[in-house]
Amino acid sequence: MSKGKVKSEEINKTIRAEDNWEPVGPTPMPEISDLRRWDMRLLNTYKPFYAPFCDLCCFCTYGKCDLTGEKKGACGINISGQQGRWALMFSLMGCSAHGAHARHLVDYLIDKYGEDYKIDLGGQVAVEAPHMRTVMGLKPETLGDLRKGIEFVERGIIHGVSATHMGQEGSSLDFESKSLHIGMLDHVVMEVADIAQTIGFKFPTSVAETPLSGLGWGAVDKSKPVVTCVGHNAAVATVMIDQLMKMGIYDQVEVTGICCTAHDNIRYSDKAKIIGPLSKQLFFLRTGIADLVLTDEQCVRCDIPELAKATGSALIATSDKISYGLDDVTHKEVDEIVRMITQEGKQVLIRDVDKAGEVAAKVLPIVAKGRKKEIATKEKATELAKECKQCGLCDRVCPNLLNISDATADVRDGKFEKMADLFAKCVGCGKCEQECPKSIPIITIMQAATAWDTFNIRVGRGPIQDVEIRKVGAPIVLGTIPGIIAIVGCSNYPEEAEEVVEIAEEFAKRKYIVVLSGCAAMAAGMKKDAEGKTIYERFKPDFDAGGVLNVGSCVANAHITGAAMKVANIFAKLPLRANYEVIADYILNRVGAVGLAWGAYSQKAFCIGTGCNRMGIPVVLGPHSAKYRRLYLSRKEEDDWTVMDGRKKELINTEEPSPEHLSIVVESKERAIITMAKLCIRKNDTAQGRQLKLNHYISLYKQHMGTLPDDLQNFVRNDKDIPIVYKKEVAEYLKNVGWKPKPLLTLPTLIGTYESNIPIDAVVK
Amino acid sequence: MSLPLHYVNVLTGLKGCRVIEDAQALGKIIKKAERPLLVFGPRCIDIDLGGKKAIEYGIELAKALGAATCATAHTKKKLLECGVTPDSAYDAVEIINHLKDPNWKGVKKLGNHDIVMFLGMRTDFGNQGLSTLKHYAPHLKTITLCPYVYPHASFSLANMKADKWKEYLENLVKSLK
Ligand code: SF4
Ligand code: SF4
Ligand code: SF4
Repeated sequence: MSKGKVKSEEINKTIRAEDNWEPVGPTPMPEISDLRRWDMRLLNTYKPFYAPFCDLCCFCTYGKCDLTGEKKGACGINISGQQGRWALMFSLMGCSAHGAHARHLVDYLIDKYGEDYKIDLGGQVAVEAPHMRTVMGLKPETLGDLRKGIEFVERGIIHGVSATHMGQEGSSLDFESKSLHIGMLDHVVMEVADIAQTIGFKFPTSVAETPLSGLGWGAVDKSKPVVTCVGHNAAVATVMIDQLMKMGIYDQVEVTGICCTAHDNIRYSDKAKIIGPLSKQLFFLRTGIADLVLTDEQCVRCDIPELAKATGSALIATSDKISYGLDDVTHKEVDEIVRMITQEGKQVLIRDVDKAGEVAAKVLPIVAKGRKKEIATKEKATELAKECKQCGLCDRVCPNLLNISDATADVRDGKFEKMADLFAKCVGCGKCEQECPKSIPIITIMQAATAWDTFNIRVGRGPIQDVEIRKVGAPIVLGTIPGIIAIVGCSNYPEEAEEVVEIAEEFAKRKYIVVLSGCAAMAAGMKKDAEGKTIYERFKPDFDAGGVLNVGSCVANAHITGAAMKVANIFAKLPLRANYEVIADYILNRVGAVGLAWGAYSQKAFCIGTGCNRMGIPVVLGPHSAKYRRLYLSRKEEDDWTVMDGRKKELINTEEPSPEHLSIVVESKERAIITMAKLCIRKNDTAQGRQLKLNHYISLYKQHMGTLPDDLQNFVRNDKDIPIVYKKEVAEYLKNVGWKPKPLLTLPTLIGTYESNIPIDAVVK
Repeated sequence: MSLPLHYVNVLTGLKGCRVIEDAQALGKIIKKAERPLLVFGPRCIDIDLGGKKAIEYGIELAKALGAATCATAHTKKKLLECGVTPDSAYDAVEIINHLKDPNWKGVKKLGNHDIVMFLGMRTDFGNQGLSTLKHYAPHLKTITLCPYVYPHASFSLANMKADKWKEYLENLVKSLK
């Protein structure tokens, strides 16, 4: 897309185009439609699949408009357009949450260290910011450069939001293209946020074997003063930890956290502990174990002031994104705020990071004094459940469709097995209690049912090292490491969180690379084997075959997708700089990476997934994600799987649906495992690599479905692809279904299959 | 409009299902199908109805009707154990994606289906899939066979307890024979 002279000059200045680390590629700092043709090419194969949650649109005063059947709204939009608009809005919400988070961190750190503060991710990470390099064309060197990344994304967000206004965009495909664009920008700001906090707070980087930290509600020593940080931004917590050290009492208190702030706290200090994922927020806060609750931003319950009041925990809100209607005391002196909290029992908002951290440390030992923290006993729980009249109203409101009334009935009789099972599946919303006409505190009863166990989690390690990429680049692209399995996202799980452990373990044992982040990384640590070891203690922490690693909080997801980009760059020597289309095409066709967001619930998770999709990484979602209402699915038998052979420059119909979908929801863990194994298949696999991938696909399919895969013929290109162990039965099967060998390729690419400014040679290196 | 058992599935719109209280009446509707399809979801593997699994009722029903079958999630294995080879093993959203296309060949390659029945899905996930079909597949009718109101289905059972449901399924199978 041609840009005006002034705009081009502005871009060149921003990215320092004259720096010749790599030539500037075709799309420096792309605007919302600059990669539209790539999107349309993707959307041609992976068509949007919509499952409307609401039949109506109520966006403007013309409405409500019924959009069923052929009906259009008063503005002319139809149901697909409306779903596309939701998709764009979700992406915008997610990207904005990460963007504002990154903005807060970078502004804070620039204030502290100046904009020339250098980016240094240690000796093992030279390609420091693959997303910024690839999307913007900027190789960031300082905090000031990181701010450029945020400004670039902020501009994209305004444009995106404007398109959601009534009477603007109407085409579902264009909404999707914009949504994909915002998804791409999301990975840029996540990268910015994680680099900023890594350099600013001196998180570990360039090491694989980070320490282990305590995990689980049972890991907390409640006899000590306990502070619990809730949210995603650890800035205040780092200051608080410093202050606690300065006061000489850090080892006499417990710094704990829920959700991603907890991840980043343990990166700052491995003595800090993680309580658990988002789904345990209400449960833990209800126990009153926290003497002080410190909220920051994202995925924080809206009723924490009420919860804290009920248990007598003190509360400091620290973000202007979540102010709770509290008095803003930012302008007051530290001692005065401490007095207000400790003597007047006030809940306060402090918008200054340093002040909030200092106040938190100072109030903690005071507010903890004399507090009784009693966990509900079995006797107490039985007593509480006595009132249950078995009306079943709780069952009707449970978003996880759980049978609460049966569990409560058992507790009435002193039996806790069903309640323990319920707790394991509970996503922690509290709706059951709210509905109960007898006001039975079901969440409190759960305290008596759960085991108060202690687990270990490996501290998030941040970026994947360049040397690791050098080692695994070839095996990934050839297929001899069967895939990268990224298990990410929130904790809205359909069943027990333990399913995450089972899935991770299945792939680690099969020598895939298993990378975790966010709440999923916590869930993965919450199961021990017979020897009492968690998955983090059983598998090596390397980005290598059979490794299980935690990159860190949600914003560290950018390092997982960044690793795929680095494979294209470090192994395949493709330039990243402003070269998004080529890099995405490379990943789609050659890097067998797949994401699993088994409990995705937030708009951030939606946006992260959408960003993965634009760069060619398929995502498998758990059943709750059907409520996101949009997927990207192909139809394997019906669709055209023609690609360009980059070397021969010929169009070839491969007849191979790989990867088959870009975004799919599945209902069971078993199906998720099978689907992920299949989605790791790429057109570029060598025969040896394909054999290995099919070996896993077949063995998993047989294990869970009882037969050979019924689409096996789609993925066997010739005899050499057939895994030796299954040779005979596969050959027989192929004969029965009338399989014929497929054309061979030397270099698969979508470039050249659609109108694009990118020459085919750009993908050949 | 009957409320769904799980409020997460409450209808925000005007076009809701018709609840068919009487198994015989539902049988009549189903019998009109030329190319019926029964989609099995994973929950029917474990649901026990007085010694008989829900999946077995599904099998009986498909047999009585001569309906084509689709095993979603990991139900294929259980169907095989029950001695039934499903006509297809797509995952739920995949079969729904195909069903949207009026020109699709169908699981038996005899043309797209005209009545599609669902048994054994999570109600929230199922209701979302049914929404897709309600909006994008006007050429077919959807029927849910689980004991919950599914607002996005064309025809749904009422919310009912296990014993009533067992009775309903038995009567339904009888009416199809
Ligand atoms: S935005 Fe369009 S469809 Fe929505 S309420 Fe307004 S006129 Fe109706
Ligand atoms: S708190 Fe747990 S059990 Fe209660 S309604 Fe929510 S998810 Fe269901
Ligand atoms: S809503 Fe309350 S009284 Fe009714 S079944 Fe549930 S726990 Fe018992």
